[in-house]
Amino acid sequence: MNRNTFSYKLRQILMFAGPGTILFFAVVVVPFVYGLYLTFTSWDGVSAHKPFVGFANYAAAFSDGAYWVALGRTAIYSIFAVVFINILAFALAYLVTSGVKGQNFFRAGFFVPNLIGGIVLGYIWKFVFNRAYVAIASAITGGMAISPLSTTGGAMFCLIFVSVWQYAGYMMLIYVAGFMSVSDSLKEAAMIDGCTPSQAMRNVTIPLMRSSFVQCIFLSITRCFVVYDVNLSLTKGEPFNTSVLAAMHVYNQAFTYKNYGLGQAEALILFIVCAAVGITQVMIGKRGEVEA
Amino acid sequence: MKKSTVKKLLVAMLSFAMIFAMAACGGGSSSGDEGSSEGAAGALKIFNSKMEIQDVFEGELADAYEAETGVPVEVYYSSDTVAAHLSTKYASKDPYAVNMVDEKDLYSLAKEYGADMSDMDWVKDTNYAVTVDGKVVGYPVCVEARGVIYNATAIENALGEKFDPASIKTLDDFKAICDKLVKAGMETPTSIMKEDWSLGAHYLAQFIEEREDVDGYVASLKAGEAKVIEDAKFNALMDTFDVLKEYNMWKGQEGSAERELSEQALAEGKIAFIPQNVQDDYTGKLVGGGSKYFYVDASEGTSAETQQAAKDFLAWFASSETAQKFVSETCGMVSPFGSNTVTCTDDLGASVKGFADADMLIPNYPGFPDDHYSVIGAEMQKYLAGQCTREELATAIENYWKAQA
Repeated sequence: MNRNTFSYKLRQILMFAGPGTILFFAVVVVPFVYGLYLTFTSWDGVSAHKPFVGFANYAAAFSDGAYWVALGRTAIYSIFAVVFINILAFALAYLVTSGVKGQNFFRAGFFVPNLIGGIVLGYIWKFVFNRAYVAIASAITGGMAISPLSTTGGAMFCLIFVSVWQYAGYMMLIYVAGFMSVSDSLKEAAMIDGCTPSQAMRNVTIPLMRSSFVQCIFLSITRCFVVYDVNLSLTKGEPFNTSVLAAMHVYNQAFTYKNYGLGQAEALILFIVCAAVGITQVMIGKRGEVEA
Repeated sequence: MKKSTVKKLLVAMLSFAMIFAMAACGGGSSSGDEGSSEGAAGALKIFNSKMEIQDVFEGELADAYEAETGVPVEVYYSSDTVAAHLSTKYASKDPYAVNMVDEKDLYSLAKEYGADMSDMDWVKDTNYAVTVDGKVVGYPVCVEARGVIYNATAIENALGEKFDPASIKTLDDFKAICDKLVKAGMETPTSIMKEDWSLGAHYLAQFIEEREDVDGYVASLKAGEAKVIEDAKFNALMDTFDVLKEYNMWKGQEGSAERELSEQALAEGKIAFIPQNVQDDYTGKLVGGGSKYFYVDASEGTSAETQQAAKDFLAWFASSETAQKFVSETCGMVSPFGSNTVTCTDDLGASVKGFADADMLIPNYPGFPDDHYSVIGAEMQKYLAGQCTREELATAIENYWKAQA
């Protein structure tokens, strides 16, 4: 059989890459391009008519103060959440690979929060903050405690706290894989050369785990930037719309306020910001990666 | 040679699998087109957006309709925003024949897709039909009103005397009874819900709705001419709000007011009132009117026969004894139709019915922008939590409307 003909190659490509490509086009490329088209219309989301308005939606998006506030809030939320998720995940991974008793049990346990969906998780923690916390704090102080969800800073703190709780276990798994990939012989060699355990960690283990850090930070950044479920069920944007994150604002704009074109334009800006941050981080992270 | 045969067979099988998979995709969407609004068994598809009646609507009522007319009915509910859910149905060209929406949605959805129902009999039987562009497209489902909900039993138990709501005509009367309740041991007689739709769309909106020329006032707000802080209606409404705040069970932790707990407290008699609306220039009227409307889809997705079937259903829903009992007894809703004389089983509903029958309802204003409840609701939440003054609230309202111009 001649494997150098065009038809043979085409058949091979169709066979192996075809299904994936079709799916990718159907669920990513086509909606993306169609969404791009919608940003140039003043569609309300339900009408059969989509009046073309040029760049008006982008102009409106840039002058939508509430959107930029929400985006800024998202950036702050992401910075705190990403830092704490990764610190905690790394610490947990270190703990469950250091040979403590029952470490497999702990690995499973720390991972469990990730198995609960964001919506349910939000409602659980809402109950904890609104009822349990208030009841316990009131009993301890003897006064009337205020739910942290009802204060401006408190609501953001709760969002960050719950996100860290949710994602730390997941990221821990990636760090665990990172720890396991570093050969014991390298650490031993470093110790024989006179390293203390902490020096071995800093100079041998962590540099060799760089790819784990790159992955975890990328995953946590991209997830934090587009978070919606926890935001919806935990704070719903309250109090006084001060915990509305970017994705929630986009959703409200498109579906609740019926400005679909504007919402779509804002979603595109969110996508670009998120992609730029994510790619920059990966490029910086990859630069110094040690190929072991 | 043998090897290549096996390979060819494999290739053939894989391609077959792929074609089959693609055909399945195509098949899926085309069957969706055909299934539009007729349903698999030719059932009439109805979209319900009142979650609390979904069980009885899709069970009891759908069964009764099929038994009486032989037409099967399928009732759907979505927890998504009404407009968002219906937009996906229109985008997939699979609309419901009958859609239950909020009044404001009629002006976008029914304006474009609604069938003209002007010549139907029920139109003459109600004050609440909605006309868009000269066509009657909105069929009222029930009448609702906004006011202070009270637990008469709790008040009577606490004070040891008969409670007559009509005796409270001024804010001072209201304050007096709250003080009496406090003295009688009910520490916090009121509860204010913190939800933005409650504060923004239900409570604060009243100062705009309760005037002769609502459109004129909204126009002057947009032009930046109206001074909200000097407005008598606004100040009267906020004076009432301050009193409600004073006796609020959530005082000090307004932001954690949970609706379920407030309602529970009201039912158990721990509190006596949930707002809204007692005013100094009290006219005895409430803001209220049709709540939730049906419109019949007239887009390409719904055939002429289905549209007729949908209209028949609505005619039946207004005039048949079964449906009237369903609305007033089973659901405890207030029927918007004069011919429905079934007594409403719900005390609150019966009270609203009294206001409606006495022509004591001021119409809801449908012209609020879609983000009004959220933006203004947030400002009201700030005021409720004591984080802004009445002047700042008034300025925020003025700024909101100026931005709408």
